[in-house]
Amino acid sequence: MKRIDAVIRPERLEQVKALLSGLEIQGATAAEVRGFGRQRGHTEMYRGTEYSVDFLPKILLTIVAADERVPKIVDAIIQGGKTGKMGDGKIFVTPVDEVIRIRTGERGPTAL
Amino acid sequence: MRQLIARHTLRRSLLQGAITILLLAGMFGACSTFCFADNGPKPDPAGIATGDKTSVQDAAGNALVPATPDPASPDFATQKKAYDEFQAQMAKEPIAAKLADSLGHVRVATNFSWTLLTGYLVLFMQAGFALLTCGLVRKKNAAHLMMLNFAAFVFALLAYYAVGFAFQYGAAAINAAPTNLGGTPTLNAFLLGHGSWGFLGGKGFFLSGPGYDAGSLCLTLFEFVFMETAGYIIVGAICERISFWAFILCELFIGGILYPVFGCWVWGGGWMSQLGSTMHLGHGYVDFAGSTVVHGIGGFCAMALAVILGPRLGKYGPDGKPRAFPAHNIVFVVTGTFILLFGWMGFNPGSTLGATDLRISVIAMNTNLAAVAGSATALLFWYLIFKKPDITMACNGMLAGLVAITAPCAFVSPNSAVLIGVLAGLLVCGGVLFNERILKVDDPCGAVSVHGYCGWLGAVCVGIFADGTYGSGWNGVGAANYLGQAGQGVTGLLHGDLSQFECQLLGATLCALWAFSATYGVFWIVNKVKSMRVSAESELEGLDVPEFGMSGYPEDAMASIIH
Repeated sequence: MKRIDAVIRPERLEQVKALLSGLEIQGATAAEVRGFGRQRGHTEMYRGTEYSVDFLPKILLTIVAADERVPKIVDAIIQGGKTGKMGDGKIFVTPVDEVIRIRTGERGPTAL
Repeated sequence: MRQLIARHTLRRSLLQGAITILLLAGMFGACSTFCFADNGPKPDPAGIATGDKTSVQDAAGNALVPATPDPASPDFATQKKAYDEFQAQMAKEPIAAKLADSLGHVRVATNFSWTLLTGYLVLFMQAGFALLTCGLVRKKNAAHLMMLNFAAFVFALLAYYAVGFAFQYGAAAINAAPTNLGGTPTLNAFLLGHGSWGFLGGKGFFLSGPGYDAGSLCLTLFEFVFMETAGYIIVGAICERISFWAFILCELFIGGILYPVFGCWVWGGGWMSQLGSTMHLGHGYVDFAGSTVVHGIGGFCAMALAVILGPRLGKYGPDGKPRAFPAHNIVFVVTGTFILLFGWMGFNPGSTLGATDLRISVIAMNTNLAAVAGSATALLFWYLIFKKPDITMACNGMLAGLVAITAPCAFVSPNSAVLIGVLAGLLVCGGVLFNERILKVDDPCGAVSVHGYCGWLGAVCVGIFADGTYGSGWNGVGAANYLGQAGQGVTGLLHGDLSQFECQLLGATLCALWAFSATYGVFWIVNKVKSMRVSAESELEGLDVPEFGMSGYPEDAMASIIH
């Protein structure tokens, strides 16, 4: 099992979701987050005084899936989230040791 | 040990309570002579004797009943003839006399309605100020801002009720009788000064005795909402760092002393309003609806307090450069500003104290024009200089235009109103940058620039742009002849009266000096006795929880979700 954490543009969430729904994934969690990458935000002006906006709003989308499904999910996220400009985000894939469904106590891939 | 501290704290709070009660009792006792033993005209609490034929006027303001002839006057013979003829006519036509009495009552009643309703509009400005100032600060201080605005209303009114109104209007009937409201004849003695040199009013303490009168209380309602405006202006400059106890003291000081004293000098028939007759300075110091009396006092008081408190933690970096603390809710800021604009439709037109004065339409239109001119100027200024129009500065610009037109609104043409708005829009932009970058006075909401600097500008603009069409007989000048014209009203520099300009310049500057130095003197001492600032930890956390035990947005606090 793998965990996929994708940091994407908030305005691309709908597209990513639409593409993922065709893949029969078992679930996803989205959170509003703020962060910066290589570009390091930008500066704005408030009442004549400059301030920096370092942390820009992003969506952190988390999906846990069986290993064989991962490439298709990653492709879908890239296809839905890509604009080609700075700030499109990143995808992190990490191994998952165990999954437990709280309601039934099931463990392993069947709990997904 | 803990018990000892508890006992010590208890004893100290008992002591403080006792001192407060003693002070209040002493104040009440000292004032009781004015409250209850009064030999002046009988007050009319029911309002059944206010407004008779003496209140009847034609459209130009000429009274139906001629004034009682004064034997000392050079025109005694003419006056007596007119008076006798009128008496003879009344004796022949008793029904007409009765009708005139009814008409006079209806006239006063019409003006009561206008004055009270516009007063309610001004009262609603409280909501606008609360939203505006709350929106302009950081989220962690939202409840603190709301509580300051709320407490400003509560405590300043109590102080104004006890002594403020009496200090301000206790002698109104002598030089500044509001004839539209029946003249308030019971408010007829100065506590300090007399005749044309009055310094402090002396009737109507605790709104008792001479103050318990329908006409007088109509005036009280309209005037207390103005005082409240000065009271919450200060919030904008001292928020995010002042402790609550110190704020209550500030409000008692404004409502009881700072505002009423200057108010008496200008509006209560005090010495500044009489400079036209005593020193031949135009029509005396003229401030129609309070650019200086209300906004200047509030703005410069706010400045003194902001200087004493010092800037918010982190506002200036180690290099001395200012840092931005962006507003947390622009929706509040804009909504608040529009509520203030709406309230201003009471503030300025209501200051005629009567709908029978048809100048109200000019005043209302001038007020709106200055507001949009101020806003457009500030907005475009920012657009050009900083590439993006700052919404908070657009709002500040609108308020700056409103503050600046408040004094001249009744005396100028619509074209001048637009010009005054433009000047105010420029001044407020310059003022905000000057305070932030050069003076380094930390003013989170721009209160000093909007109300202080633009208030000063507004009063000076009377002396520049007033066109002489209104205000004949104002403070005793120009009723018969002024500048070679019969019925010449308040006239500014551009229309030929230099002395009015001098008077306005001096008066507006005096306002700034009085508000700043009196506040600075009093609260410098208070701050030496006990620091008026909250602790650094509270300030960093945001004042909501440390000062009031709850946050403005409880959904942000995890605690509310868990429990």
